[in-house]
Amino acid sequence: MNRRHFLECAALLIGGVSASRMGWTLTEEQRVHLANAPDYIDQALDYFTPEQRSVVAAIAETIIPRTDTPGAIDAGVPRFIELMLADWCNDQERDIFEQGLLQLDQHTGAEYGKRFDELDQQTQLEILESLEEEASNSAWYQTGNIRRDFISDAPFICQLKEFTVWGFFTSEEGGTQVLRYDPRPMYFDGDIPLKPDDSSWSFRAI
Amino acid sequence: MQTTQFDAIVIGSGITGGWAAKELTEKGLKVLVLERGKELHHGIDYTGEHAPDWKLPYQGKRPRDLYEKDYFVQSKSYAFSEANRHMFNNDRENPYISNPDKPFRWVRADVVGGRSLLWGRQSYRWSEQDFEANRVDGHGIPWPIGYKDVAPWYSYVEKFIGVSGQAEGWPELPDSEFLPPMGYHALEKTIKERLAKKAPDIKMTMGRTAVLTQDHNGRAACHYCGPCHRGCSTGSYFSSQSSTLPAATATGNLTLKANAVVDKLVYDPDLKRVVSVEVIDSQTRERSSYSARIFFVCASTLGSSQVLLNSTSASFPNGLANSSGAVGRYLMDHVSTIGGLGIFLDNMDSYYHGNRPNNIYIPRFRNLPGQEDDTDFVRGYGYQGVPIRADWSMNLNSKGFGADYKNTMRKPGYWMFALAAFGECLPQKSNRAFLDRNKLDRFGIPQVSIEFEWSDNELAIVRDFSKQGDRFMKAAGAVYSLDLASDDPEAEVIGGGAVHEMGTARMGDDPTQSVLNAHNQAHDVPNLFVSDGSCMTSSSCVNPSLTYMALTARACDYAVNQLAAGQI
Repeated sequence: MNRRHFLECAALLIGGVSASRMGWTLTEEQRVHLANAPDYIDQALDYFTPEQRSVVAAIAETIIPRTDTPGAIDAGVPRFIELMLADWCNDQERDIFEQGLLQLDQHTGAEYGKRFDELDQQTQLEILESLEEEASNSAWYQTGNIRRDFISDAPFICQLKEFTVWGFFTSEEGGTQVLRYDPRPMYFDGDIPLKPDDSSWSFRAI
Repeated sequence: MQTTQFDAIVIGSGITGGWAAKELTEKGLKVLVLERGKELHHGIDYTGEHAPDWKLPYQGKRPRDLYEKDYFVQSKSYAFSEANRHMFNNDRENPYISNPDKPFRWVRADVVGGRSLLWGRQSYRWSEQDFEANRVDGHGIPWPIGYKDVAPWYSYVEKFIGVSGQAEGWPELPDSEFLPPMGYHALEKTIKERLAKKAPDIKMTMGRTAVLTQDHNGRAACHYCGPCHRGCSTGSYFSSQSSTLPAATATGNLTLKANAVVDKLVYDPDLKRVVSVEVIDSQTRERSSYSARIFFVCASTLGSSQVLLNSTSASFPNGLANSSGAVGRYLMDHVSTIGGLGIFLDNMDSYYHGNRPNNIYIPRFRNLPGQEDDTDFVRGYGYQGVPIRADWSMNLNSKGFGADYKNTMRKPGYWMFALAAFGECLPQKSNRAFLDRNKLDRFGIPQVSIEFEWSDNELAIVRDFSKQGDRFMKAAGAVYSLDLASDDPEAEVIGGGAVHEMGTARMGDDPTQSVLNAHNQAHDVPNLFVSDGSCMTSSSCVNPSLTYMALTARACDYAVNQLAAGQI
C-alpha cells in the first residue's frame, strides 16, 4: 500500500484549497468515527424493572446459552433488548412485549409460584417452546422472511428471538468469539476450505 | 473579451463534475466547482468505515422513525445505512414531486464527491451496437457519435481510474484497459462451467469494477473489507474524493465551494453566452454570483435539468438551451429487479476469505446480431450475479432454542445465487422532469416534478428477466429456483430504482430534437456544456458511469480547444 502518496493526496485535498472552502460542516455527532465509538449497548437506560430485567436475561440465555463460547448474557443481549424496547420499538410493539412479560409472569406465578428466572432450565425451555408452538402461525416464521423489516405484530416470543439472535450475533462477543471477525481481510480467495465446525463470517456488508 | 472571475465553472463534484474539474484544471484553466452538498474530507469523514455491528446504532437495526421522517427515499437504497447516512440527501429538507402511483426514486448524495462515493462501481464500455441502437430500430433519435469516437476516451479514463476485469473479446461488451480481475467463488466457477455446456449463449465474466486489484496512481489495492459505499480511506475505489478532485487540487487551479446551491445560470443575449451563475449558500442563505468563460453542468441528470429549466430569460423562456423543448424530457433509467434466485448444494465445503466488492457479469445475450429473434422486445439486458452464503441473519426466524440452535445459527447454511437484472430503457418524450413553480424548496427554487412510466418494451424485458433467469438457474444446477414470474411486473420495477437516471438533455445532430451536439455543447449556447447522465441519447443496458466519465473528458478536451481557437 502506498501510504505516503495517499496521505499526500489527503493533505492536499484538505489543505490545498482551504481559503475558498468552508470549514467543517459535518456536525460533531456525524464526525465521530463509529469504529472508535463506545459499543451501542454502553449507554444508560432505565426501562425495565429489576425483576423484568432478570426475566428477560433468563429468556435470552435460554435462547442462546453459554456453551464453550459466550452466551446471550455474556454478550450483553439483555441490555440490547432493553435498549430496543426503550428506544427503537413503537407503541404497538412495546404493548405486545409488556403484555407478554405480564402473562408470562402470571403463568409462572400461578403454575409454579415463581418468576421465570427462578425456574429450572428444563422448565424454562419447555415454557418457551410452548410459546413458540402457540405462535407458529405468525408471519414471522415464514420461509424467506429474511432481511425484512421488523414485523410489528409479531408475538412476544418472536420479538424475544429476533432481538436475542440479532443482539447476540451483532455483539462484540458473538461477532468475534462465536462468529469469525476480520475487518480487513487484505485479499480475496473465493475457495478456502470450510471445515464442519467453522462459523460464518460476522461481517454483514451493508 | 470580458474579464471573468474564473475560466470555467463546474456545477457538481460527483463522478462527472470531478472529471471536468480534473481535465479543465490540468489544461491550465482556473476552475470553480460548485457543490450543493456538505463539505466532506476524504478518509477523515468516512465515519462509518470499518465500524463493526456492535458500534452501530441499534447494532444495525434500522432506525425506522427517522428514516420515515427524513430519509423516506434514500433509505430504500441498498447502500444506505447508519454507517454512511451523512453522505445522503435529507428527503424532508430537499423535496421533489412524483406521482405516488408511479413513483420515481431519486437517490441523491449531499456531500462533496456526490454519488461517486456511493456508486456501485461497475464499469462497462458501451458497444457499437449500443450507440447504433436508436438509428437501427427507430426509437429515439440517432446518437451523433459512435463507439470509435468514445473508445480513446474510455481508455484515457480507465487508465486513470483503474478498472479491474477480464478481457474477453466479446463485441457486445468491449474490453477496457484492465487491471487484473478479481477472483471467483468456487460456486461461480461451477456455474460458469455448467453454463458453458448447457446454456452457452449465456456468457459469464468477472464484474468489471472501478476497484483496484493492485496499487494504482498512488491509490492502494483493495483490502476487501466489503462495503465500499461507507467510503474508503485508502482510495481503493474510484470516487471524485479519492481521485479526480485531488488531481485537480494538485494543479493549484481549483476552487471548490461546498454548500453552494445553484439557483440559475445567467444568459447574456448580446454576447449569446452564459456569463455567470447565481448561487445560494445552503447554510447562510447568502447569495453570490460567479462569472466564467465556460460552464460545465454536471449536477446529475435531474439536478442539471432543474438548473437549466430554472435558468429562464427572455431569450429562453422555457429554460436555458431549451429551444428544442427536450430539456427534462426523454428521462430514462435502467429497468431493474431480481431476475433469478437459486439455491445450490454445490461447493458446500468451500468458503471465502475477504468480501469481494464485486459481482459476476452476464452481458446482454438477447437480440444480438445473428441470433434467431424469439423476443417480444427490442434491445436487451444484462445480469449481475452474486453468490450468497446463508448465515444467521437469514435463518433467525427458524424455530428452536438452546445450544443446538446457537450452533446451527453460527454456521454457514446453503449457497444462494442471485441475479440482478438491468434492462435497457427506451427514450420517451412523456417521461420527464419539469419544474413546479407553485412549489418552492427552502431556497426558493421551484421543485423538480417527475412523470415517469415504463413502456411496454421495458415491461416485456422484465418478463424475460425471470424467464431467462429460471433457465439460467436450471442450467447452473440450482436445486431450487425461485419462481419470479409475475403477472404485474410494473408493480415490481420502480423508476429511479437502478439509480441510472439519464437522458434529459440529450445529444443529437438535430438542434430541434436535441439539446447537445456531438461534443456535449449546447446547440443554443456555445459556452455551455452538459456532460452528466442527462446527455444520453439512449440508455444501453450496461452501467453508465464509465461512459459519462469518458464523454466528460472528451467534452473538456473539445471545450478547451475551442477556447484556444477563440471559438467560444
